Amino acid sequence: MTNASNEPIIRIEHVWKFFGQMAALQDVSLNVHRGEKVVIIGPSGSGKSTLLRSINRLEEINSGLIAVDDVDINDPKNDINKIRQNLGMVFQQFNLFPHKTVLHNLTMAPIKLRGMAKRDAENLAMELLKRVGIGDKANVYPAMLSGGQQQRVAIARALAMKPELMLFDEPTSALDPEMVGEVLDVMVNLAKEGMTMICVTHEMGFARSVADRVVFMADGQILEVGTPAEIFDAPKHPRLQQFLKQVL
Amino acid sequence: MNEENQNNMPAGVVAAEGKIEVPAGGIKLSEERKDSVINAWTLALVGAVASLTILCTVWPDPYLDVLAFLPGGLVITFQVTILSILCAIPLGLITGLGRLSKNRVINLIASTYVEVIRGIPLLVQIFYIYYALAKFLQVSGLTSAVIAISFCYGAYMGEVFRAGIMAVNKGQTEAARSLGFNKVQTMMYVILPQALRTIVPPVGNECIAMLKDTSLVSVMAMPDLMQFGRSYAAKTYLYFETYTIIALIYLIITLLLSKGVSILEGRLNYYDKRK
Repeated sequence: MTNASNEPIIRIEHVWKFFGQMAALQDVSLNVHRGEKVVIIGPSGSGKSTLLRSINRLEEINSGLIAVDDVDINDPKNDINKIRQNLGMVFQQFNLFPHKTVLHNLTMAPIKLRGMAKRDAENLAMELLKRVGIGDKANVYPAMLSGGQQQRVAIARALAMKPELMLFDEPTSALDPEMVGEVLDVMVNLAKEGMTMICVTHEMGFARSVADRVVFMADGQILEVGTPAEIFDAPKHPRLQQFLKQVL
Repeated sequence: MNEENQNNMPAGVVAAEGKIEVPAGGIKLSEERKDSVINAWTLALVGAVASLTILCTVWPDPYLDVLAFLPGGLVITFQVTILSILCAIPLGLITGLGRLSKNRVINLIASTYVEVIRGIPLLVQIFYIYYALAKFLQVSGLTSAVIAISFCYGAYMGEVFRAGIMAVNKGQTEAARSLGFNKVQTMMYVILPQALRTIVPPVGNECIAMLKDTSLVSVMAMPDLMQFGRSYAAKTYLYFETYTIIALIYLIITLLLSKGVSILEGRLNYYDKRK
């Protein structure tokens, strides 16, 4: 715990991103520190998913800097595939590989990218599946799982690469209401274990209980950043006040 | 293509069971239709085999004589078909990937190839390679036949591969890339295996069409099934008898192949089956 805790793991500085004429991100800056849980909230179209997806370069930014562990991810000299191996990503639509069993979904990347032995990868996968509560489904195909189960597998798949940071892009938005809880439970446990997390979500309860900092975005800008108490109990920006009135 | 089947994300929850898809390629038996005893495929096969048997047993002269004369031609027909398939499928894959490439030059080359080949009849291509290009380069009948057919079908298959790859949900690419797979690994491990499901039925049908189109090589005196028939008919003046047998043989072969394609297709759907 020397300077590691002070150095941000993610540095986002003056980032601009355009979709055609539309500025999806306008001069966005944000630092995330190791072990920190940052939850990004905001109305749809506010740029929160775009910001999250820019962090592992699924979206290419037009200007500004995004650095992971002090490595500029948009510099062609740096191997983005290596960088991405340390950034777990969970999608709204799960995006499990349907042609692979649950177990293979988890073992594929560690074996092929980290050069892990098959047996070690399978042991790791089983351990992760048990952790997310679906150890008994290792040998079925994703199509046989419910949405909540698929999303838990997706989280386990990302964890199998032993990432330093997890990015969640509205992980519960595509789920039936009764399945939201099981996915959030997994995320809360992950947070307790000290994982660094950046999470875009509409689950305000989750934001309040897990987040170290809540970021409010609207119109491609970060309008307010604060602790859950500051954001939810004493919102300053009128847009945030209006937003909270609508969602709470 | 059957887009419903491609949408593989929540499709797990809302499985497409009981839904009768209109197949893209045509010759295909869905699960539902397989249950009924009589279907078009069975009817055609039983009819063709019965006709052939009756003709050859009731009137062995001339029908059995015609039949006995043809196996030599079948060898060439299969040889040309198999060699052309082996060349056309990789060519189709490369073309399809080329058409999807963001690299302008590669894309332009692949697209131009498809446009040019699609615009020229296969028969003309065969004549062109065998007769016209002979001015510069003498190639054997077999070589020209395989080149002409595989170039022609490579272009068609390129479009099939392109469509199949495009039909795979974009989220699959994003998921693979976010794990750290590079573009080639993503294509090999994630996209192509899934695209195969869409690709196999139409490619299978292209292969069957290819077998039929090999009959065109008889124009350059390749001794295939069709050419054997032509020479037999010319010798004996038994046009009706000869071409009846030829037609039945082509029909039986293509029916069996189309069955093979639909079996393969069923196998490829393994990961959709629930329980």
